[in-house]
Amino acid sequence: MTKKSNNGFNTWQKSFEKETKKNFSDAISETDEGINIKPVYTKEDMENFSFVEKNSLPGQWPYTRGPKASMYTNRPWTIRQYAGFSTAEESNEFYKKNLESGQKGLSVAFDLPTHRGYDSDDDLVMGDVGKAGVAIDTVEDMKILFNNIPLDQMSVSMTMNGAVLPVLASFIVAGEEQGVDRSLLSGTIQNDILKEFMVRNTYIYPPEPSMKIVADIIEFTSKEMPKFNSISISGYHMQEAGADNVLELAYTLADGMEYVRAAMSKGLDVDDFAPRLSFFFAIGTDFFMEIAKLRAARTLWAKIMKDFGAKNERSLILRTHCQTSGVSLTEKDPYNNIIRTSYEALSAILGGTQSLHTNSFDEAIALPTDESARIARNTQLILQNETGVTKTVDPLAGSYFVENLTEELSKKTWDIITEIEELGGMTKAVKAGIPKLKIEESATKKQAKVDSGSRVVVGVNKYKNPKEPSVDVRVIDNNRVRDDQIKKIHAIKESRNTKAVEKALTNLTNAAKDETNLLIPCIEAIKLRATVGEVSKALEQVYGRHFAKSLSVSGVYGKHFEGDKEFMKVESKIKEFENVNGRRPRVLVVKMGQDGHDRGAKIVATSFADMGFDVDMGPLFQSPKDVAKDAIENDVHAIGVSTLAAGHKTLVPELMKGLKEIDPKSKIIVFVGGIIPEQDYEFLYENNVSAIFGPGSNIIESAEKVIDLISDNLSKE
Amino acid sequence: MELVDKIIKGERAAIAKAITLVESSKDTDQQISRQLISELIKKPGKSIRVGFSGPPGVGKSTFIESFGSYLVSQNYKLGILAIDPSSQITGGSILGDKTRMVEISKNPNTFIRSTPSRGTLGGISMGTREASIILDAAGYDFIFIETVGVGQSEIVASNLVDIFTLIVGPGSGDELQGIKKGITEYADIFIVNKNDGELKMEASKTAADYKSALSYYKKLDELEKQVLLVSAIEQTGMVDVIKTINQIIDQNKLKGIFDERRADQLEYWIQEEVKNIIASDITKRLTSKGNIPKYSEKVMKNEISMYEAVETITKDTLKQ
Repeated sequence: MTKKSNNGFNTWQKSFEKETKKNFSDAISETDEGINIKPVYTKEDMENFSFVEKNSLPGQWPYTRGPKASMYTNRPWTIRQYAGFSTAEESNEFYKKNLESGQKGLSVAFDLPTHRGYDSDDDLVMGDVGKAGVAIDTVEDMKILFNNIPLDQMSVSMTMNGAVLPVLASFIVAGEEQGVDRSLLSGTIQNDILKEFMVRNTYIYPPEPSMKIVADIIEFTSKEMPKFNSISISGYHMQEAGADNVLELAYTLADGMEYVRAAMSKGLDVDDFAPRLSFFFAIGTDFFMEIAKLRAARTLWAKIMKDFGAKNERSLILRTHCQTSGVSLTEKDPYNNIIRTSYEALSAILGGTQSLHTNSFDEAIALPTDESARIARNTQLILQNETGVTKTVDPLAGSYFVENLTEELSKKTWDIITEIEELGGMTKAVKAGIPKLKIEESATKKQAKVDSGSRVVVGVNKYKNPKEPSVDVRVIDNNRVRDDQIKKIHAIKESRNTKAVEKALTNLTNAAKDETNLLIPCIEAIKLRATVGEVSKALEQVYGRHFAKSLSVSGVYGKHFEGDKEFMKVESKIKEFENVNGRRPRVLVVKMGQDGHDRGAKIVATSFADMGFDVDMGPLFQSPKDVAKDAIENDVHAIGVSTLAAGHKTLVPELMKGLKEIDPKSKIIVFVGGIIPEQDYEFLYENNVSAIFGPGSNIIESAEKVIDLISDNLSKE
Repeated sequence: MELVDKIIKGERAAIAKAITLVESSKDTDQQISRQLISELIKKPGKSIRVGFSGPPGVGKSTFIESFGSYLVSQNYKLGILAIDPSSQITGGSILGDKTRMVEISKNPNTFIRSTPSRGTLGGISMGTREASIILDAAGYDFIFIETVGVGQSEIVASNLVDIFTLIVGPGSGDELQGIKKGITEYADIFIVNKNDGELKMEASKTAADYKSALSYYKKLDELEKQVLLVSAIEQTGMVDVIKTINQIIDQNKLKGIFDERRADQLEYWIQEEVKNIIASDITKRLTSKGNIPKYSEKVMKNEISMYEAVETITKDTLKQ
C-alpha cells in the first residue's frame, strides 16, 4: 500500500469511528460461515488471491464470471418452476398452462412413495400418496403426465434420487411410445443420492449400491441420451436442512467429485460425461454471500475438473439451476415471503444462474395455488423484462467486496473439500455420518440465533403483524388420489402379461448381482408394465433397504442461551416438574410416513434435551402404529409429530387410534409441528391434538407450552 | 393390586407404568413400587436374563436388532432394557435406541424400554433390576439388558443377569491388554461382530486372539468361555448365539450354578441397598450437625490434623 492511500484509509477510519462511536474492529461482523465482514472494502482487499483471477472474463478460465461469454445479454435464464400435483392428469394441465404463459422448461415433483420406491397401494405409504408431488406407479402415469407435450421439444427436469431407475426408464419408454427416440430427450434427472443420506433421506438402498446406480445412469445417458443431463448435484437440500453456504458448497462439490470418480470407474473418459453434469444450489437471504457462492462454485469446479484431467472446455464449466430458499419463508405474515423471494431471485441472477425456480409465498404452509404460482413466476418475468439486469454480464465483477467474498468463500470451501478427500471421499464421510452431523450443528445454531433474537426475521421475532392475514391454500384429497391410483394399478396388473413381467423382474434381480448396467433390464420391465414398486423390490432383494443410524448433537442450542431468562424459566419449570413427579418430562419426537425431512425433528429433539427434557428419538419412516407402541412402552408424557409433507391429516388420527388400541386410557398428549395449513388446525384439534407449532415457531416458547400442557394433563389425573 | 394382574396379563401400558414407578425418585412412587415388586416376586416367570455390553461403535444395537429379530421369529417373547449412553449429567437426554432397533421395535412380541443412565453407577439406572422382575412376571422369555461398556458398568450389569455377553469389533485384539482377570469373570460369551465384507479376516483373527487369551486366564473349575463370530448386518451367526446361550444356561442349571449365581446376586443387591440407605442416612446426619465445616476450619488453622478431625467426626456421627 502506498503512503498516500494509507493516509486516505486512516482518515476514513477516523471518520467512521467518530460517526459510529465504535472501534473499526468492533464493527466487523461474523457470518454463519465464519467469514468476517468489514464495514468497508478497498483495492487492498483484491490482493493475494489464490482462487479468483482478477482479470478473467465471462466464459473464460476460471469461469468465475459465468459459463458463457454473453450470458443473459443473449438469452435470459430459464424460468423453471418445480411442480407436481398429486395426479398425472392435474400435473399435465398445470404444465400446459405454464408453458402457455411463458415458461420454457418443466420440472416434475414426485410424491414420497414414488421417491422411496413404493406403489400407491402399499400399506406403508397410506398417508403419503399424492402429497408433495405426483404419484407415478407405472409408465401409464408418465404418459399421462406428458400428454400433448412434445418430449423432443421440451426440456424436462425430474427431481428423483431414490427410485431413479424405474422413473428414468418410464420417462424413456413414455418418450418412445410418443414416437420420440431417447437420443432426442432433453432435460435433467437429479440422481444425486449422496445428499439424500445427508439431509433428505429419500434413499432406498445403502450407499454403495446406490453409487453404482448413479454410475449406471451416467454411463447410459452419456452413450444413448446426449441431450440429457445425467445428474444434478444438489446443495439445495443441504441449505434447506440448515447448512451454511460453505458447508453447502463444499459438500456439493465433494459429492460431484465422488460421482466423477464413480463414472470414471466404469471406464468412461471424463470428457465423455462431464459436460452433462449440472448443479443445483439454494439461494437464501444473505444477499452478497449467495452471489459469491455461485461465483466461487464455478471457480472451484473448474480447478477440480482440470485436476481430473478434463480437456474439453465444457467439462470445466459448472452450470447450475437455483431455487430460492424454502426455509427462509415464514408462516407468519406470509406476504413478506414475496419480498424475500424477490431479493433471493436477484441474488441468483447476479450470481449468474442458468435457470431459476422462485418459490410461491404460501409454500411454508402448503402446495402453491394457481394464484401464488403466478406471482412466483412473475417475480422472474419482472426481473427479465423490467429491471435491466439482463443487459450486462456479471455486473458485480470488480467490486472489492464481492471479489473478496468470492475468494474467502472459495478458501474456506477448499479447506473442507480437502478434509473430505483426506477421509477417503464423500461416500465414506457419508457412511460415517460426519456431514449430516455438521449440517445439523449448523442448523441448530441458526435456529438458536432466531429464537434468541440475535437474528431478526421480520414478522416472526420482530415487527410482528398484529393482524395476521389469512391465506387460501390448496387442499388435496389424499384418499381420493390414493383410491384412483390403486384402481389404475389393478387395471394394469390385470391387462399385462404377468409371466413376461415376472421374467423381466427376475432378469433385473440377476443383473443386480453382477456388473450389468441396470437401466437396460429396467427399461424392459417398465415397457412390460412392471410397477415402480416391483422394480424397486426386485433390486431390494439383492441390495436390501437402507436404514440410517441417527446421531445427534447436544449442547449446541443451549450454548446460545446462557443466562437467557426465557430459557432459564423453562429449565426451572422442568426441574420443578422432576421434583414433583420423580422423573423428567419425557417426549417422543417422531416422523411418520415417507417424509424424510428431519431437520425440524432433530432441532426440536436436541433443544428440548438441552432444556432438560428426556427425548426419545423415533426412526424415520415410522407407521402410526409403531409410534404408538414406542410411546406406550417408554411411558412418555407427550409425542411430538414433525410433519412437512401434508401427511398429517391421515397419520395423526391413525396415531390417536393406535394409542387407544394399546391403552384405552392413554393420557399421552400429542403436539404437531412443521408445515400445517391453518385450515387443518381445526381438524387436528378435533382429533385431540393438544398444540400445533407452525414454521418459525420459537422453540423455547414451544417447549414451555409443552411442559405446561404435560403438567396440566397430569394434574387432571 | 390391580396393576399386578395387568402386568401378569402382559398389558403393555401396565408394564410401562410399572417401570416408570420403579425408576421414579418420588417417595410415594417408591413405596408403591416396593409393594409391587413384593407381589410380583411371588409370581415369577421363566425369563432368562442376558446382558449385552461393549464399547461404543461395535454395533451393539445393530446386533441386538439382528439377534432379537431371530428370536422373535422363533416365537420367543423378548423384553429389552436399553440403558442409553447418550445421557448427560446435567440437562435431559436424547434416547436414540429406537432409531437403531427399527424392525424389532415393530414386533408385537417385543417390549423395548430405554432409560437415560443419568451418570449413575456404571450406567445402570436405578430400577433396572426391578424392571427385569416386571418383565419376568409379564411372561417374557428373554430379557436383554444393554449397557455401554464403560467404567464399572460390566460389573454392575453382570450382577443383573444370568448370562453376560461382551460384544467387540474386529481388530480389538489390542484391547486384550485390558482384558485382565476382571472381565473374564463377568463375561460368559464374547461376540466378535462385523464378521462381514472386508473385515472378515480381521474378525476371525480377533476371535482367535480372544480364544487364546481367554484360555490363559481360565480357572480350573470354570466352564470354557465362548467366543463367537457374527455379522449383525448380514444376520449370520445368530443360531450359534442362541445355541450357546441355551447350552450355558442348561449346564449351569444342571450344576446348580444358575441358582447359586442368582443367590449371589441377591446378596450383592441386598448389600448395595443397605449401603445406600446407610449412606444417605449418614449424609443427612453429617449435614445436619455441621461438623465438617467446623473441623475443616480447625484443620486449616493448623489446630488439629486432618486425621484427628476425621476420627472425631466419625465418632460423633456414629454415636447417635
